[in-house]
Amino acid sequence: MPYTKPIPETGDPLTQPFWDAAKQDKFVLPRCTDCNRVHWAPRWICPHCHSTNIEWVDGSGDGYIHTFAVQHRAFGGWADETPFVTAYIDLAEGDRMFTVLRGVDATKPETIKIGAPVKLEFETASEDVHIPFWRVV
Amino acid sequence: MPGELSRAAAIVGAAEADWIGYPAEPKTALQLHMSAIKNVSKQTGIPISAIDGIFTAGWSSQIAEHLGLHPAYIDTTSVGGCSFEMHVHHALAAIHAGIVNVALVTHGENGWSARATKGRGTGRARGGDPWDAGSQFSNPYGVSGAPSNYSHALTRHNHRYGTTPEDFAHIAVVTRQWATLNPRAVMFSKETNPAGGPITVEDVNNARIVSWPLTLLHCCLVTDYGGAILITSPEIAKSLKTKPIWIAGAGENMSHSNMLEMEDFTATSAAASAAAAYKMAGMGPEDMEMAMIYDSFTVTAGITAEMLGLAPRGEGFTLWKDGHAAPGGRLPINTNGGGLSFNHSGMYGMQLLVEAYRQLSGTAEDDGYSGLPGKQTSARSCVVNGTGGSLSTTGTLVLVAD
Repeated sequence: MPYTKPIPETGDPLTQPFWDAAKQDKFVLPRCTDCNRVHWAPRWICPHCHSTNIEWVDGSGDGYIHTFAVQHRAFGGWADETPFVTAYIDLAEGDRMFTVLRGVDATKPETIKIGAPVKLEFETASEDVHIPFWRVV
Repeated sequence: MPGELSRAAAIVGAAEADWIGYPAEPKTALQLHMSAIKNVSKQTGIPISAIDGIFTAGWSSQIAEHLGLHPAYIDTTSVGGCSFEMHVHHALAAIHAGIVNVALVTHGENGWSARATKGRGTGRARGGDPWDAGSQFSNPYGVSGAPSNYSHALTRHNHRYGTTPEDFAHIAVVTRQWATLNPRAVMFSKETNPAGGPITVEDVNNARIVSWPLTLLHCCLVTDYGGAILITSPEIAKSLKTKPIWIAGAGENMSHSNMLEMEDFTATSAAASAAAAYKMAGMGPEDMEMAMIYDSFTVTAGITAEMLGLAPRGEGFTLWKDGHAAPGGRLPINTNGGGLSFNHSGMYGMQLLVEAYRQLSGTAEDDGYSGLPGKQTSARSCVVNGTGGSLSTTGTLVLVAD
């Protein structure tokens, strides 16, 4: 089935290593080699110590729900999937990503728990772009 | 002790466009700007030709060109709804430095009419860079505008402080009470709008879910608005027929642009911008007799009240729930009916400034020019806070009457 939802436009030299890895269904994160802290979204300069020595390291793909909402109104391809749950995910390595949360019932938000563990997975949106999603484990 | 800039300039007039809310005929942003500017010039007696500083969100050169002005100071700060509070901060500094004599802060936006004009003439930059972080790492996940983001903050506040969406529903109910006292408000009455008139907590709870836990009645309106204020030095202010409202304190700050980078979903940079404003004013939250707080959503107002020091962390909503913010309460908040029930064009910071001026100058029931009605309070001081982006940017002002 064709992927009908927005597909990020790749080619940005800042984030291309992420999308290159994602294409192999591999999750990588930017880490500062001076203060050793991971950050998200990717940057040219470490937001913690302002070093420009940043490398890409393998991410565990483990995280926790920081907060969430249930979207009852959406546009484009997402309009066909309402209601769906969006969430901010605290990464095991530190910092935070945004996602559409999988493995939850959007009609029962009271069953979704902040702090619940989640795991990253990729969906093949196009030949070149695999998009990360998080699923409650 | 007040800082050097405290009361170095005054707001001497504040006017709206001839058409706000849901105009019968579509308006462009430029039309709304020009109507408000013309009105504030008439109100103050300051000719448009005397304006030598232009402050607006993103459009300063177009506005100056349209007015045929060659301003000595141009500020185009456009960081969301709080931009106008920041413009006042910048104008205060420019006037104090002697660069500007008469600063115009202006806004025009056709949130409502843009639907009829298919997005033309909106006065806002749309689209964006496909390579910015939001385009790559937020937009693929179906978020569609402010409500879909702000809802995450309410969920987190509920989790952290044991609050509920119902607690925040009181903010919508009380704000609507103010709207029913303001004939200019979109939600003034059932007669003027089928959805208008008083509402209950149950109405808020049972309204259509937009982005859980936010229902439609937790969310602001989408309207047209034009507003303009003039700021001058104390010398010029004292020569005018209108009352000066002094800028006693001003501050601004930001914590992030994309919500992806927001560290604490239950706190905003309003704590920092308010600290700066109170320090400049030599005043504190206990000295404030009213507040104009950005209410793009109930959660915005509730959290911001905490950041401004008007209530302890986790308890901002109690100002509304316990009736303090309501008509007749000890701390009137959002006396125009707010972005929730008065008017919200997309960037609401100008509406806050116009209402604060009307209240403090004693012209809320008749602005002395067009007779625009409203509900007057007895407040002599007001903390005004704008919030922009995704709880991202804030500007705080402490305004006082003579």
